[in-house]
Amino acid sequence: MNTDTVLSLKNVSKKIKGRPIINDISFEVKKGQIYGFLGPNGAGKTMTLRMIVGLIRPTSGTVEICGHNTRKDFVRAMSNVGCIIENPELYEYLSGSDNLELLRKMEPDISASRIDEVVELVGLSHRIHDKVGTYSLGMKQRLGIAQALMKKPELLILDEPTNGLDPAGIKEFRSLVKSLSKEQGMTIFVSSHLLSEIQMICDEVAIILHGRIIKTSKVEALSAGQKITWNVTNVAKAIKLLADDFGVEAVKDTEETLSAFTDDFRIMEINSAMMSSDIGIKYVSRQQKSLEDLFMELTGGETIG
Amino acid sequence: MVKLIENEILKTFYKKRIHVIAGILLVLIALFAYGEHYTLTRTQDRVAEQLGIENAEDWKNIIGQQLQDLERRLDNPYIPDEGKASIQVRAEQLRFYLDNDVSPIGSTAARFMGQFIEQSIFLFLPLLIILLAGDMVSGEVNSGTVKLILTRPVKRWKILMAKLLALSMLEMFVIFMMALFSFAIAMVVFGYSGFNEPVITGFRVFEGQLDTSAVRTIPQWQYLMMTYAIGYFVAFVIGSLSLMVSVLVRSTSASIGIMMSTLIGGSFLSFFISDWKLTRYLFTVNLNLTSYISGSFQIVEGLSMTFSTLVLLGWSFGAIGIAFLVFTQKDILA
Repeated sequence: MNTDTVLSLKNVSKKIKGRPIINDISFEVKKGQIYGFLGPNGAGKTMTLRMIVGLIRPTSGTVEICGHNTRKDFVRAMSNVGCIIENPELYEYLSGSDNLELLRKMEPDISASRIDEVVELVGLSHRIHDKVGTYSLGMKQRLGIAQALMKKPELLILDEPTNGLDPAGIKEFRSLVKSLSKEQGMTIFVSSHLLSEIQMICDEVAIILHGRIIKTSKVEALSAGQKITWNVTNVAKAIKLLADDFGVEAVKDTEETLSAFTDDFRIMEINSAMMSSDIGIKYVSRQQKSLEDLFMELTGGETIG
Repeated sequence: MVKLIENEILKTFYKKRIHVIAGILLVLIALFAYGEHYTLTRTQDRVAEQLGIENAEDWKNIIGQQLQDLERRLDNPYIPDEGKASIQVRAEQLRFYLDNDVSPIGSTAARFMGQFIEQSIFLFLPLLIILLAGDMVSGEVNSGTVKLILTRPVKRWKILMAKLLALSMLEMFVIFMMALFSFAIAMVVFGYSGFNEPVITGFRVFEGQLDTSAVRTIPQWQYLMMTYAIGYFVAFVIGSLSLMVSVLVRSTSASIGIMMSTLIGGSFLSFFISDWKLTRYLFTVNLNLTSYISGSFQIVEGLSMTFSTLVLLGWSFGAIGIAFLVFTQKDILA
């Protein structure tokens, strides 16, 4: 294994009561990357994250963090990890600072002044001595990030971190993640069900569906292509033409429309080819790819649900 | 480890569990003391009436007569030595009442403290401990905070060990509160402390017979130390069982409910104890340990302090073992 691999999953599977939930997942996250983990709700994102941080034991396969197997050397593996799994659930009956103090004592060496630093960083200074029970979801999310950052982890794991944040908070969060990566060289692993979210902050992405990784790629590679919709007189003929002449797989949306993923420069070629084959075009439209579209493209029509 | 234990104790205090327990204790002890005081005045009046004396202050004459009677019996050559031992002990006790001007029908702070632990050891004390221990693990699973502590670089068994040790310290604190509150309230209600008063102990059951050869008196304070130490042992046993249930189920209310119904339901089974041999291995029928030293138990062949202590230890170790096994292996799914 490469020395600059911070997180690696090898053939990780999980069965619960005989039912396979996660199937043979493998991927690697390199030092300094912001790695996205994209998938619809229920695809197995949180389950995978729980296996990474040792809350769940994989049925088979191994998880290594900074070269330490999480099963065999849990303590050393986890001393490199800061994480929020699902909702940032903290002790509601304790104040924000008591929460952080309590968790600080469970780590080997974090200085007491580090707490003030992270509280400042996530912008919670004014409410840190109030009980967490009185916090809004956004504030709990911030406190969750503070506890994850407290130990200056090698690997930061965030599960749907923008849930419950307002638009301003989301924007702030993105710049925080980018600065952590750029200035401290922190490796960040973020899960999300929002393609746009991943596209905005990540370098690389693994896409999960029904407990399987269906694609791992650079984020730039994902953004290539956009969804084009044609409203034409003969949908069947148009689909055949796209497949035969351009090698583009198109999907019939309604009786009159079809859509496919392709680049701008090919649209004109396709349009003139359609017209010369007597396919009347009423209009052509273009839109940004959604996660749903991405899955359609990757799985060839299999829907998320 | 010390820091982990500190954390667990801190959580219990901030959750106000200890406050609730202290409140329940205060109210109950106060009520118990009032009831005791009320019954006492009634009894004194009735006794005075029956004996045809002006008031219960005349007890000295009666005790004096009883003592003379006992002393006569001690001189009787037809009474075997074993029998003499218990008469001797009884006489010693009566002599103390006379010498120290303490009424045997009255109540003292020390007697009250003893009665309180004797009455609460098999039900009330366990209930308090269940309240304390029932949510130690399930509470964290319920609220999701278990994810916070289990993703720290600390082995799982250490986390549970910290909880167990914190719990055993908190149990000690509950016993301490019990002693302190019952002492303070009894001092207010009954006035006299009576810690040097002799108490009869050392009854044994041997081959179905009450064996009084080892009967002796010990001062109240020593008797109280023993009963409260036994109280702590019972608290520890119930605490480990509650901790196990708390590991096994996900919700706090289920955990507390299961333990309470087991405790209450199980204590009904003591009804069958002399015939149905199996029931004596249940933890619920063995909790009343103080009755072995106070001599107030019903005689059941085979049940003894040693037997009950071993049964309780067995349950306790079993529960701790299961709790560790499950907690270190289990998947945290929610």
